[in-house]
Amino acid sequence: MNKKAHVEKMSFNMIWQKYGTLGIFILLVLVLTALKPESILNLQSIPQILNQSSVNILLALGEFFAILIAGIDLSVGSVAALVGMIVAKMMVAGVPVLLALFLGVVFGGIFGFMNGFLVNRTGLHPFIITLGTQAIFRGVTLIISGARSVFGFPVEFITTISSRIAGVPVAVIIAVVVAIILAFFTKKTKVGRNIYALGGNKEAAWYSGVNVKLHTLLVFIISGICSSIAGIVLIGRVGAAEPAAATGFETYAIAASIIGGTSFFGGKGKISGVFVGGLIIGIINYGMTVLTVPSSYQQIVMGSLIIISVTIDRFVATKK
Amino acid sequence: MGTLVRMENVTKVFPGVKALDNISFDIQAGEVHVLLGENGAGKSTLMKILSGVYQPTSGKIVLKGNEFSKLTPKEAQENGISIIYQELSVINEISIQENLFVGRIPTHKRFNIPVVDYDYMQKKATEVLDKVGVKRNVQTFVEDISISEKQQVEIAKALVADADVIVMDEPTTSLTTSETEHLFKIIRQLKAEGKGIVYISHKMKEIKEIGDRVTVLKDGTYVGTRHVKDVDEDDLVKMMVGREIKGTYHHPTITDFSREKVLFEVKNISRKDQRVKNVSFQLHQGEILGFAGLVGSGRSELMNAIFGAEPKSSGAIYLDGKKIEIRSPYEAIKHGLAMVTENRRETGFLDNFDIKQNMSIVEYIKNTVLQGTTGLVKNKWEVDNAHTFVENLKVKCRDIHQNITELSGGNQQKVILGKWLAANSHFIIFDEPTKGIDVGSKSEIYVLMRKLAQEGKGVLVVSSELPELLSVCDTIAVFREGQINGIFGVNEATEEIIVKSSTGQIEKRGEKNE
Repeated sequence: MNKKAHVEKMSFNMIWQKYGTLGIFILLVLVLTALKPESILNLQSIPQILNQSSVNILLALGEFFAILIAGIDLSVGSVAALVGMIVAKMMVAGVPVLLALFLGVVFGGIFGFMNGFLVNRTGLHPFIITLGTQAIFRGVTLIISGARSVFGFPVEFITTISSRIAGVPVAVIIAVVVAIILAFFTKKTKVGRNIYALGGNKEAAWYSGVNVKLHTLLVFIISGICSSIAGIVLIGRVGAAEPAAATGFETYAIAASIIGGTSFFGGKGKISGVFVGGLIIGIINYGMTVLTVPSSYQQIVMGSLIIISVTIDRFVATKK
Repeated sequence: MGTLVRMENVTKVFPGVKALDNISFDIQAGEVHVLLGENGAGKSTLMKILSGVYQPTSGKIVLKGNEFSKLTPKEAQENGISIIYQELSVINEISIQENLFVGRIPTHKRFNIPVVDYDYMQKKATEVLDKVGVKRNVQTFVEDISISEKQQVEIAKALVADADVIVMDEPTTSLTTSETEHLFKIIRQLKAEGKGIVYISHKMKEIKEIGDRVTVLKDGTYVGTRHVKDVDEDDLVKMMVGREIKGTYHHPTITDFSREKVLFEVKNISRKDQRVKNVSFQLHQGEILGFAGLVGSGRSELMNAIFGAEPKSSGAIYLDGKKIEIRSPYEAIKHGLAMVTENRRETGFLDNFDIKQNMSIVEYIKNTVLQGTTGLVKNKWEVDNAHTFVENLKVKCRDIHQNITELSGGNQQKVILGKWLAANSHFIIFDEPTKGIDVGSKSEIYVLMRKLAQEGKGVLVVSSELPELLSVCDTIAVFREGQINGIFGVNEATEEIIVKSSTGQIEKRGEKNE
């Protein structure tokens, strides 16, 4: 092996780490353009893809933090459905829209708090805890809804969520704003830095003064809040709260985070990457829809993507 | 006597770094060949090439007369190479005998189906364990045996593999004096059987005691090979660092600190797990207090309890005469405490952070409220801070944006020191601060400790290296079974007294400061 070959190989890893996510996104756009040009090359397609991606992006943004601390949050889809249902019930019952939305986000935070509290208290891996709570939250959703969809929301809510500002759907603006806030949070705040430390090495973070339990709690609260916003956007877009809403969306959220470059082993990842990861999920879904691929196949593609991207992550991570 | 291994003109290039430059190295049957060099000198890289973990960029390896341009781990093993790494690779969850036969489980046929030959395994395992002096049933699970026994199991594993060459990477780091003696006995026995031993170590005394030849590497280049009997410690140090430095740091003056102000005091600290029982001590202004004792005597446990990293069940801590409450490292840091932990990798640095981020985290947390959750990071300060400490502590690195895992042990330790100094800590606990660190960095750290003490900061040192304690500390507390068994001024302490006190041969003496 000569020196040059080695250097080239190394730089491939670096390029992959930096631009891999974006590369996949562009590749997918190109593939779709080649297969069905009219699906991409029209004015409506881009806002539509963005709009469809917004829920995935919001869920993935929360999931990102859980994965960043080498954990996971399997309850994001259930929390979105439950909060959506609570907000829907409140609005239908006549609670002012803004208050209902605010309380919905508070509930999201509380559900996240419950996850974090249980993780801290039991010392179990978040996988186990959130595997349990996702079933519990889903069960509660079914109970309070009587397993029936809730609709008949105030008009101003539906029109606001599905309206556009300067051609950009409001749902997309919400996702972008949340992403910008979280990017600032991860890059510029001390608490964000501490969460990275916790994800990189829990013990060393503890010895450096990071309050491990408090930061774990915060991570799950953030995840809960992001899920609640996703849940609200979802009912606004659909126009109804369905008890089975967002079922399996945790798979998309995890996939988006990992494809977005978040290390499954903790401590590494960026909000911008996760955002693009969410778009990738969106474009795959959109692409398969316009190519009239049955929705069941989308699951297969998503599952394969998770495995492939974690494999590449592992490969790059161990290449040091 | 024949040549077992010959490595000729081996060069290894990593992206951007020449880790080994044209190194030649050989191992004769029946010798202990010491490989010496500062951290980052290339010792481990050379041995990883020998064991097939790395492939050389150029050069060749001759094993038993067969020439290889590179080895796979399997080829290395088949040709009788066995490596015992510093982080032992025994598997805790299985028995000793299964560990010995990992990868080469013996089988015999039963009803024409190959099944595990437990009888043979047990017989052979008992035989090799006996040889290395482990008095354990071969069925014992490895998690239930001590570190030194685990190491002996590793040696036994090499014997089962029929290794001709056994490489030991700093084998005595976690061993007590008597365990080290036992290890040397085994090494001598292996020598007598014609095995070749490569012994990687920083400890000069050991080299003189066990080595036959010594090869010194420096920054990936070959410095020279000598017969151990022809050189003294200062010669070797000079070869390693390429400059003349004093073999060890010398204690400046002996001062009586008892009339100085009490800077730090601990009263009756105990832990629920009984690892620390009712310990009290005082530290005076300007004094460096050392903690000696056997591995497992409870010194680190005491430090962890003081620092709040692990819970204490009772006891009080006073800083500058004021009682302080410490229930977590966060609270300790708020009071200006710092702790350089024993295991850099597990509890010291953050491997996903670069140098500047590692050096800023404690300062960030110290200057916040609400458990370190408030406030913003300061990018410019972060860079300036890192430059300051990289320069002051002479950290060898490409730049401050380099990931800390790419640095050598000594430089990683300096970054950790930097993170505590950046937070302006005024009471610093050093737990085995020079473990696995090169001689040059060691003496720099000793000088720094003294400087900190002179600046009026509190310095506590836990160390298993007695010469280190004797040359750095003013006062030495000897720990035994969770208690202080004696406190000695450096003028009255000798290695012999400390060893006797830590093994209980000297009874508890009137404790100073009570």
